[in-house]
Amino acid sequence: MKIVFHIAGGGSIKVPAAPGQNILELARANGVDIDAPCAGTGVCGKCRVKLVSGEVDGERSRQISDEDWDAGWRLACQSTVCADAELLVPATASAFRSGMKVAAMSKEDRAVFEHELTNMYVAGIDFTAPVFTCTVNMEIPTLDDPEPDCERLLRAMNGLGYKSVSYTLDAVRELPRVLRENNFSASLICGWRGEDVLVYGVRAPGRARACGVAIDVGTTSVAALLCDVESCDVLARAGAGNSQIRYGADVINRIIASNRPGGLEMLRSAVVEDTLNPMLETLAGEAGVELRDIVRVSIAGNTTMEHLLLGVDSDPIRTEPYVPAFFDLKGLTASQIGLKVNGSAEVAIAPNVGSYVGGDISAGVLATTLWAGSDFRLFVDLGTNGELVLGNSELMMCCACSAGPAFEGGEISCGMRATDGAIEEVRINNETREPSFRVIGGVEPMGVCGSGIIDLIAELFRAGVLSANGRLRDGARVRRDEHGTARYVIAETENGEISISDVDIDNFIRAKAAIYSAIDTMLESLGMDPSIIDRVEVAGGIGSGINMDNAIAIGMFPDIERRKYGYVGNTSLTGACAVLLSREAEAKLAEVGRSMTYLELSTYPGYMDKFVAACFLPHTDASLFPSVGGENNGVS
Amino acid sequence: MPFKRTPQKFNAAINAMTLGTGDNAVTIGGASVLPLYSFDGDIGNAPKIGVEISDLGLEGECVGMTEFYAGASTPAEMAAKAEKMPGADFVCLRLEGADPNGHNRSVEECVEIAKAVAGAISLPLVIEGCKNNEKDAELFEKIAAALEGKNVLFLSAKEENHKSVGAAVGLAYAQKVGAESSVDINLAKQLNVLLTQLGVKAENIAMNLGSAAAGYGFEYVASTMDRVKAAALGQNDAMLQMPVITPVASEAWSVKEAMVDEADFPEWGPQEDRGVRMEIATAAACLACGSDAVILKHPRSVATISAMVAALK
Repeated sequence: MKIVFHIAGGGSIKVPAAPGQNILELARANGVDIDAPCAGTGVCGKCRVKLVSGEVDGERSRQISDEDWDAGWRLACQSTVCADAELLVPATASAFRSGMKVAAMSKEDRAVFEHELTNMYVAGIDFTAPVFTCTVNMEIPTLDDPEPDCERLLRAMNGLGYKSVSYTLDAVRELPRVLRENNFSASLICGWRGEDVLVYGVRAPGRARACGVAIDVGTTSVAALLCDVESCDVLARAGAGNSQIRYGADVINRIIASNRPGGLEMLRSAVVEDTLNPMLETLAGEAGVELRDIVRVSIAGNTTMEHLLLGVDSDPIRTEPYVPAFFDLKGLTASQIGLKVNGSAEVAIAPNVGSYVGGDISAGVLATTLWAGSDFRLFVDLGTNGELVLGNSELMMCCACSAGPAFEGGEISCGMRATDGAIEEVRINNETREPSFRVIGGVEPMGVCGSGIIDLIAELFRAGVLSANGRLRDGARVRRDEHGTARYVIAETENGEISISDVDIDNFIRAKAAIYSAIDTMLESLGMDPSIIDRVEVAGGIGSGINMDNAIAIGMFPDIERRKYGYVGNTSLTGACAVLLSREAEAKLAEVGRSMTYLELSTYPGYMDKFVAACFLPHTDASLFPSVGGENNGVS
Repeated sequence: MPFKRTPQKFNAAINAMTLGTGDNAVTIGGASVLPLYSFDGDIGNAPKIGVEISDLGLEGECVGMTEFYAGASTPAEMAAKAEKMPGADFVCLRLEGADPNGHNRSVEECVEIAKAVAGAISLPLVIEGCKNNEKDAELFEKIAAALEGKNVLFLSAKEENHKSVGAAVGLAYAQKVGAESSVDINLAKQLNVLLTQLGVKAENIAMNLGSAAAGYGFEYVASTMDRVKAAALGQNDAMLQMPVITPVASEAWSVKEAMVDEADFPEWGPQEDRGVRMEIATAAACLACGSDAVILKHPRSVATISAMVAALK
């Protein structure tokens, strides 16, 4: 039998198939990537494909309406081969792949990034480059002066004041040719190893560049910056989805996938071979540098991502008593990890703090300089999970709450990441219930990203379409399916309607409640209330479009003065970048990681109670949100 | 150092709610001190006791019950006897038979039973549903209409059906609404907020916070009630100041201690005595924790709890 996959905006592929074969697995085996955040269990409804001709076997699942079923829509994970068929893979199903983007930083992001680096400098971090270049001129050897190239170079380096010099094998291999082509002059790419100098590469005079790359490995997306470390210039920036996502949307599903035979290598290779290496090549190409010129790498990720990236068994993180294999690793090199940069490049991995508070958070704390001041700050990273850090230079307390992937669009039927096609801003008219919205990239809307969902829920509540317990009220734009589940229709497009259902809203309310109750619990454990907070810094993939007023209106963040809130971008990447550029930042990061106190919420007695109280709009205790009007109030 | 008593005074009180009409009306709630703390101040109206009868009659009931209701064959006849039970403050009709998964008695039939019961008694009436959300909503609407003006309390509106129950019982026919949650202070408050947002007045809401037979996780009930009272009085939380009514009979008589036959556990003693003890222990615990009314069924339990209330008020 033959199955043909037509990929939207791409080509077609015809593959042989056996009856009973799962369509999702068949697609993957043949390089057709279909996003299945639930790991193919039929829960998320994201792996929709459309039957163009022929047939496939499978039951209709809840995610497909009668109408869509008749139109040929099927869930790939719930369908099996039974005859020849042609299937259309829509752009949304493979959206995570299209994600690789090389983009100059947006103006806002760049401003935030530079602001944070400046703050770190002001806070006393010395940005002396850990890698550098230098040019040496040597005597040309003669029969009377037959000293080997390495010793000759050493002598020249001694002359420049570098006492102890050693070479990587790559450098020694490059040395004879470069010296003889350039009359025994060369530019070197060097790195400091304490007082000693290690030579990574030998180039023609004036042609050496000491580059490095900082990488944030998120559960959902990966971002990287290629820098000229010596000059602190950002040469290129790239972002892409984490290719591991096809094995599960969250860390728990990934860990489960890694436990299957060969799973650990499968996940390691997914992120290293399918995501990082292509990204490094793209970055280098964009910036016009060679991969071997990248001699320092700094990586920050959550505890599970760091384990899986390094091919370390992460299963103990998942089961009680939740013990990871490592917090802080030193002395790793690129060749050990399989990164296609200079094999001897030193790789700094941001230290983890707890099983569910990882290097991305310690790097984030480093970036926000929360460790430096006496003002009391709350740092919130809204990634695939929520992590919080509260404190100042004297104490730092952190916790993780299982908010789930809702802020990145996961577990929400219309949800998507903040990329082109995502509705990022919504307003709803009180009288007509008609929405108006803004789409990233100004294209046809495909779904709603985290900031859009916050707006949507706040606006629906304000307009009286949504009750305080998150139920949609019947009326214009609210439709019900055959099970009685209500949904609000935001837009109708060629690919079907974009709507948010009672179930989605429930999921999101639970996510926001997890964040709020975690903040509340952390404050309570310190005997403080929200008024103590001088500043709230919101980081993560939710996007700079987040409307703080609306986030407060739905009871996600405490009701304190809006001017105290700020969006700080991808702090994990900024922190990783600081480590890339400075050994002192690296040392500070290790110190920050050690000095954070981890609060385990699941064992904190009042947490569940606070969580239930927060599962309401804005909160069961309305007095906590004095500035938030009830329904139909405060509409402008 | 001599003991100095410090009364715990609050500038807040539990709402007083009147059930029924005329001379036989009963008021529950009104306390401005912790439950039964009469030494601290005004406990408002002493706790009240409701006597529960079922539309299914005396099926499977023990001797003490069948003896008490001897000669009564309809719910109305039982109700007439129930209101004469020493210690009874109100009568509670439980429409068990309406359950679609059980006898599935029709709404019309239930309305007739409710009307007959209401006509047979002079004490206030409380209607309990069959615990099926959709059926209860339908049932309550029709009965609330049929008994308009009688000031009847309906148990209960839950999160799932609060809109239809609240709108019919509380708004259309101005009866009293019982708000049922499952032993969680936040869920209790959320339901009260939703009902008041719907337009039901806070004074017309009573809370059924959920219960458990003593020994079956009652500590959760105790801590929930404690915290509800603390919030209502200490923090003047208007959304938790509704009086609490707790149906005890159905919980207490459905646990092993009250159900197993004496032949199987001879060392446990007579079944009926055990059931009565479970009912008394649970009701006493509920009152100590803050119930403003309890619903019981056995004459001995009603007499005992009534004596306890009289001694403590």
